Amino acid sequence: MWGPRSSRTLVIGTALAVFVIVCLLPVVYMLTLTVTTAAGQQSGFGALLLDARQRELLVNSAMLGAATAIVATLIGVPLGVALARIPLRRKAVVRLALAAPVLLPPYVAGLAWIYLGGSRGLIAAVAGRDLLSEWTYSLPGAVIVLSLVLYPLSMLATEVAMRRIDGRLEEAALLVAAPGRVLRRITLPLAAPSILAAALVIFVLAVSEFGVPALLRVRVYTSEVFTAFAALYDFGRATLLALPLLLLSLVVAASAGALAGDRLLVTRRGAGGRPLLLEAWRRPAATAVILVVAIALVIPLLVLGREALGVRSFADVVGGSREAIINSLVFAATGATAVAGLAVWIGYARARAPSRLGQLADVLMVVLFALPSTVVGVGLIGLWNRSGPLGAVYGTDVMILLAYLARLVPVAALALAASVRLVPVSQEEAAAVSGAGWFRTMTHIVFPQIRLGLLAAWTVAFILAFGELGATILVAPPGEATLPIRIYTIIANTPSSQVAALALLQTAVILAPLAVLGLAVSLRESG
Amino acid sequence: MGRASLLAAASIVVVAAACRSPEEAQNESRSVTVYVSTDRVFSEPVLQEYERRSGVRVNVAYDTEETKSTGLANRLLAETNRPQADVFWSNEPVRTLVLKSREVLAPYRSPSAQGIPAVLMDPDGYWTGFSARIRVIAYNTTLVSLEEAPRSVWDLADPRWKGQVAMADPRFGSTSFHVAALYAQLGDAKADDFFRRLKANQVRVVDSNSTVRDLVVRGEVKVGLTDTDDVNVAVESGAPVGMVLPDKDSLGVPVMPNMVSLIANAPHPEEGQKLIDYLLSPDVERQLAESEAVQIPLHAGVPGPKNIPPIDSFTPMTLDYAKAAARVEEVTARLATILGL
Repeated sequence: MWGPRSSRTLVIGTALAVFVIVCLLPVVYMLTLTVTTAAGQQSGFGALLLDARQRELLVNSAMLGAATAIVATLIGVPLGVALARIPLRRKAVVRLALAAPVLLPPYVAGLAWIYLGGSRGLIAAVAGRDLLSEWTYSLPGAVIVLSLVLYPLSMLATEVAMRRIDGRLEEAALLVAAPGRVLRRITLPLAAPSILAAALVIFVLAVSEFGVPALLRVRVYTSEVFTAFAALYDFGRATLLALPLLLLSLVVAASAGALAGDRLLVTRRGAGGRPLLLEAWRRPAATAVILVVAIALVIPLLVLGREALGVRSFADVVGGSREAIINSLVFAATGATAVAGLAVWIGYARARAPSRLGQLADVLMVVLFALPSTVVGVGLIGLWNRSGPLGAVYGTDVMILLAYLARLVPVAALALAASVRLVPVSQEEAAAVSGAGWFRTMTHIVFPQIRLGLLAAWTVAFILAFGELGATILVAPPGEATLPIRIYTIIANTPSSQVAALALLQTAVILAPLAVLGLAVSLRESG
Repeated sequence: MGRASLLAAASIVVVAAACRSPEEAQNESRSVTVYVSTDRVFSEPVLQEYERRSGVRVNVAYDTEETKSTGLANRLLAETNRPQADVFWSNEPVRTLVLKSREVLAPYRSPSAQGIPAVLMDPDGYWTGFSARIRVIAYNTTLVSLEEAPRSVWDLADPRWKGQVAMADPRFGSTSFHVAALYAQLGDAKADDFFRRLKANQVRVVDSNSTVRDLVVRGEVKVGLTDTDDVNVAVESGAPVGMVLPDKDSLGVPVMPNMVSLIANAPHPEEGQKLIDYLLSPDVERQLAESEAVQIPLHAGVPGPKNIPPIDSFTPMTLDYAKAAARVEEVTARLATILGL
């Protein structure tokens, strides 16, 4: 497959070079810095020998990550199945409502649950006594908050995968088995690689999270890395301390890979196939949808809304944020486009690479995605803030885009590789034999088939870019930057009503364009 | 061209457009860049006022609360080979002193510093203190009367307050300053003992000083250690919370000045110095005293904030800030173990 076909070599080569520069070099810079400082320090690499307390924190983090991945998958997969295979009314709206919780910044969702379940929260006020605070401030509490924010990733991955499954396989199975059995034995196993990939992404997001555990007083390992930066200002030590977290993600990624196997889905929904449709499950599905939307979206929004009612002036909250809102939307859209534009070639290269190399690439992507955002931010500064042409870029808004690329290309490439692997190589070969050039093959054979995957990758990149704080706050040029930077710099020392109002604003701002996009896509599909 | 390459081309165009235009680059000569860790709600009006008065464009990077991002001090450290900022305005002493020890700062003695007590200035000129905050004990006024409220940090370890005390994570922000000051003041053995008793008293260690305040306001705990400005914002909004200046008569009240410093090899050093002169002026101290930040002026003669007693009415904790800051790393490690963080 790796013949010297010039356009292919050129495009993939360029993409890989850009990937190395924007995603790998900042990390290489930090690792070099770490090795040189550790070699010069007395304790040196000794920081890696975790003490008992740190090991306990690492176990807590692993439990938080694993439990969140499992719970979010248990919520997300059935909903994904429902969206793909159960004829629900107003599906576009249902999908949007179910996906919307992922737009809530996790920290804000945590706040909402505290307003609700804290010892003086709404539930305690209604019940007349404290029922929930023990649970709110606990590891299970953090798992629930993070799962309710992250399950949409699993749901969307499941739906996208299921819509790619060849209906003829299910049709054949339906001749001999009941729908439930077909779902369990044929459909879900075929979608398993995508479901596992989403679970892995959720795991990484959960173990990297610092805000929610800190808020709910759950002790996690991220605080060690954070402390090395924010209390000790020791970049080398911070990067060193991040290694156990990366190792944890690596182990989980490898296990997920082993679970999924190198299963290739040679599947395309054939014109003649009649895929599994679970019409009988319509009623229970509708009930589940209402339940999840109520718990994950409506309750937090109502609680935040109630808190926000105390705000003295909404005009102050919204009016001062205009520039940041526009910046954020432009940067996130540009960033997501750049991320998807680069990741699609990296993902393609990974999908078509020999399997051993491909698995190695997967692991690299997961590790890059699991890097703490501050490590990425400091690495970007070290790399770009120097005299000469690089310095001309530093100090401009391009740095924000570079931060998005560095943080998000790995995860988008993982997702897109999974999409490309669903496109049989034989189709590309057939196109080549028929005389189509590689570029033409890509635009006419591959891209149309990964359309949904591209859209999903773009959307996830858009959401994550829109909410990015850790790296952007380090590299954004001074002045009004993005909405999260504005909000997080304002919420220090503002009353909780204003925090709630700002959180609602951030959610509303990102919901609007996604709603338009989602409705446009579903209109096109139904039309 | 395929759709993806069109997208890629489009994004390159947008990236190019995002770079600054030449005119903007020209205006740089009349601009100053300041990194600010003092809460944006309080510092932004001050800097906007300076922009209006001087006509100099002020580029500001604000910080988040300590536990929301790792903060601007990291950015200053990372940028040392080509500094971008001219001035660092810190809301507490620890970060400034770390930056001084890492040679990020340059000495500058501002003429406006005249009248500020000498103990609140670096003898070498690397930082100058102004408008101070105080570490206070906040209490819920519906659950606790002023007479019952703790008078000293020692009281917080009293079994009477078991399960009813909150403090922010002592590794970060103004709490890290406070605990470092206690260790410097008490000595290790006594301080360790105090924090062990606090732990036994089931102190709730939370993510930030504003969370401490919120817990007290909601009555989830009765009392908590936090900063004057956090409490005052809640007082002004009518929340049931009051504050006690701890250890007025014994250890002394922990006073935390803002600190302003010039950055070494700053891109606009003269503009930086002018901004520092302005920030240290009585005008700014007055503005910060009148704001909800209720910061205490250090210049004699500037009227103090309401709700807060004037600085000469109590004994401040006598502190060698540099000595306290030098021990932050060790104290952090001790407390992580003692409090089980």
